[in-house]
Amino acid sequence: MASKRIVIDPLTRIEGHLKIATQVENGIVVEAKASAEMFRGIEKALIGYDARVAQQVTQRVCGVCPYAHAEAAGRALEMAMGITPNTNGKILRNLINGAYQLQDYLLHFYHLCALDFIDITACLKYEGRDETLLGLKAWVQSELKNREIFPAAPFLPRYKAAYCTNQELNVSAIKHYVEALPVMADFLKMVCIFGGKAPHPITIEAGGVTTVPSVSMIAHYQTIFEKSERFIKNEYFNDLVGVAKEFKTYFKEGRGYGNLLSYPHFFDKDGNNPIFSGGSLINGVYSPLDVNQIQEDMTFSYYQTTGSAQTKPLAFDQLIPISEHEFENEQKKESGKYSWSRAPRYKGEVVEVGPVARVVTTYKSGKNPKLNALVDKINSTLGISLEDYPSVMGRHLCRYISATLTIDLIREQLDQLEPGKVAFVEHDVPQNARGYGLTEASRGALAHWIETDDRGYIKNYEMIVPTTWNISPRDSSGRPGAVEQMLLGTKVQDSDNPVELARIVRSTDPCLACAVH
Amino acid sequence: MGENITRREALRKIYEALVVIGASAFISFEDLLAADNTVAEKPMVVWLHGTSCSGCSTAFLNIEDVPVVDLITKFVSLVFHPDLSSATGHQFIEILDQLTQSGKGYILVFEGGIPVKMPHTCMIADKPLTYWVERLAAKATACIGAGTCATLGGIASMDPVTGNIPLDRFLEQRNISKPIVNIPSCPMKPEHITYTILHLLKKGSLPELDKHFRPKKFFARTIHERCLYYADYQEGHFAEFVGDSGCLFRLGCQGPVTRNDCIIMGYNGNTNTCIKAGHPCIGCAGEKFPRQIMFHRFDDPRVIKNKF
Repeated sequence: MASKRIVIDPLTRIEGHLKIATQVENGIVVEAKASAEMFRGIEKALIGYDARVAQQVTQRVCGVCPYAHAEAAGRALEMAMGITPNTNGKILRNLINGAYQLQDYLLHFYHLCALDFIDITACLKYEGRDETLLGLKAWVQSELKNREIFPAAPFLPRYKAAYCTNQELNVSAIKHYVEALPVMADFLKMVCIFGGKAPHPITIEAGGVTTVPSVSMIAHYQTIFEKSERFIKNEYFNDLVGVAKEFKTYFKEGRGYGNLLSYPHFFDKDGNNPIFSGGSLINGVYSPLDVNQIQEDMTFSYYQTTGSAQTKPLAFDQLIPISEHEFENEQKKESGKYSWSRAPRYKGEVVEVGPVARVVTTYKSGKNPKLNALVDKINSTLGISLEDYPSVMGRHLCRYISATLTIDLIREQLDQLEPGKVAFVEHDVPQNARGYGLTEASRGALAHWIETDDRGYIKNYEMIVPTTWNISPRDSSGRPGAVEQMLLGTKVQDSDNPVELARIVRSTDPCLACAVH
Repeated sequence: MGENITRREALRKIYEALVVIGASAFISFEDLLAADNTVAEKPMVVWLHGTSCSGCSTAFLNIEDVPVVDLITKFVSLVFHPDLSSATGHQFIEILDQLTQSGKGYILVFEGGIPVKMPHTCMIADKPLTYWVERLAAKATACIGAGTCATLGGIASMDPVTGNIPLDRFLEQRNISKPIVNIPSCPMKPEHITYTILHLLKKGSLPELDKHFRPKKFFARTIHERCLYYADYQEGHFAEFVGDSGCLFRLGCQGPVTRNDCIIMGYNGNTNTCIKAGHPCIGCAGEKFPRQIMFHRFDDPRVIKNKF
């Protein structure tokens, strides 16, 4: 049998440092390891800081989804305080986070993933009159003619692969790759109006949002929103459906275990009836969320491990990275530790989190008829079923579904905002208290746990982050993590250009800085 | 006068005059865009992530004054960027090999910290980050530290175990002497780095810097000095709760000890600023960021220490 090792390190166009190592036999992946290649220790470094600092610091574990960390940290502390934000506070959080997620979906589709499918060199054959495309064409032509090294960087070089041959779709996606950039900047302006800035919106504190929304702020937000949402519903939707039709086999690729986990997300102005219900799907069976079923394992993670393999959140207040010497030893072993990521498990199972989990668990819960109608409509248009969702193309599709529902939420709640009314409930930092906060980042289920000491400083902190679930290494039982499982069985056409593996991993939108914090 | 001077020529004359009188800190974006290139070939740029969050890269994409695609096609050649490059896996190594062996100059933009106590806590292509930074910086024409982690420590240096340090300190430790520009802020403002790169392209030099290598144009003064609540501070009129009128000093505002131009040039195309949004400045561009307490109640007896 022809056996070969294929390594992608670093995997680019994701957030952070990720290594994918696979063993391929006769062109089929038979073993896969995902290694998170960075550790910063921020979670336990928070100990001794004021409890309110967690909101600002944890945002900075990720510059791509900071809003979600602010929300999770704010909620964890609110639970410890025994308070909830007022109506304006709840709405402003949704308006900030909703706009941020819309930006994030465009970033992921156009700038991180599209170049795996779309042929960027198609602009050379462009004969139309669009200035953007003519500009790009002229640039690529002159680069290829004049430059001795790195012509047309950062778009070339790339993996040699069977990219999209549909010229119309290629041209459309390239044009929108460029045009999405100012739209994304606009979505972040919406974040900035109520959040103070983006990335790292400052105003989401435990107790609500410190911005007092004025009529002019609301009008400003609305103006940008109406201009930008059209891009999601037209350009993004058409390009996405175009790619989904051209690469239909990718509804069968990168499937994984099919076990899903999601948290309730985007509540109404009273804090009820989330758009996304949350819950789990294990072996095809849906159940509502049970937070007590979350545990973590560090058997294959680069930390000193003592005691039981699986621990509950806040079970330890130190996370000791292994030394350089031990690190080298582990790498030499056949089955040594291989990732800075820990391995979270739900009911002991490996689960996938993210847009598919969000959409499918809500569908199964039956609590959002609008979502179910949208899913049914898309399924009949594309000739797919819910079983096709945990897949490369299903993940891309579910981001669009999430985006449409988010747009409706923003439109509805913007009208419910009371101008001039404070959106923040003032409260002391609680002493000797515990709490947890759940939310959904663009890339999936996010939870923070906090414990405070007798002066209101942080006694212990823990984050279990979407990518930690997805990119997790094996656990003590030896089962591969979610992304590792997605890679197994994949056919790689050309081991020097393993674009199939890149497409699968990128579909989960890995964020390594988040995962390992 | 009888002499026909185009707007572009006029701007260039003004620009030259400004440079002559040593007032380069006053050169605006528009001046730089209007000026001719003094550097014949557009500079190559290689962007590297250390122990970062990609927040500065995300912020970079929000630039309004110049379209991002123009920036990377007309003004620089972006040889490698971890979030934008098609090149992946072994192609990354090939690009860096070619670049360092080409004998050509380039700008190294670095985002995040460098874990020197435990180099194995940040690995790229099976080699520690320290290897890549050392190798790339050694051949670079100039280095730019992007964001607070890469310039002053910031979040990356919170954990004492891994020992993250900023770029300038790392280069000093390794005896690598290079022109360096530090652009703090968490995240970095895209206008600051674009200005710096345009300055290099159009004028052939780096902008005027302070002792921490920060462009004076943006970091010469504190946020407090130009704050919209400065008069309230002087009059002793302090906000006691969120939504109250007055200076935010007693809610923990770090404006008096933070150098940045937020009040003049806010975030996201000057859409807003933390203080204008009703939140005290948390000092994200400052030397002591993050502080033990960054935002608190008016009557909280706990003291905000400068150094935790």
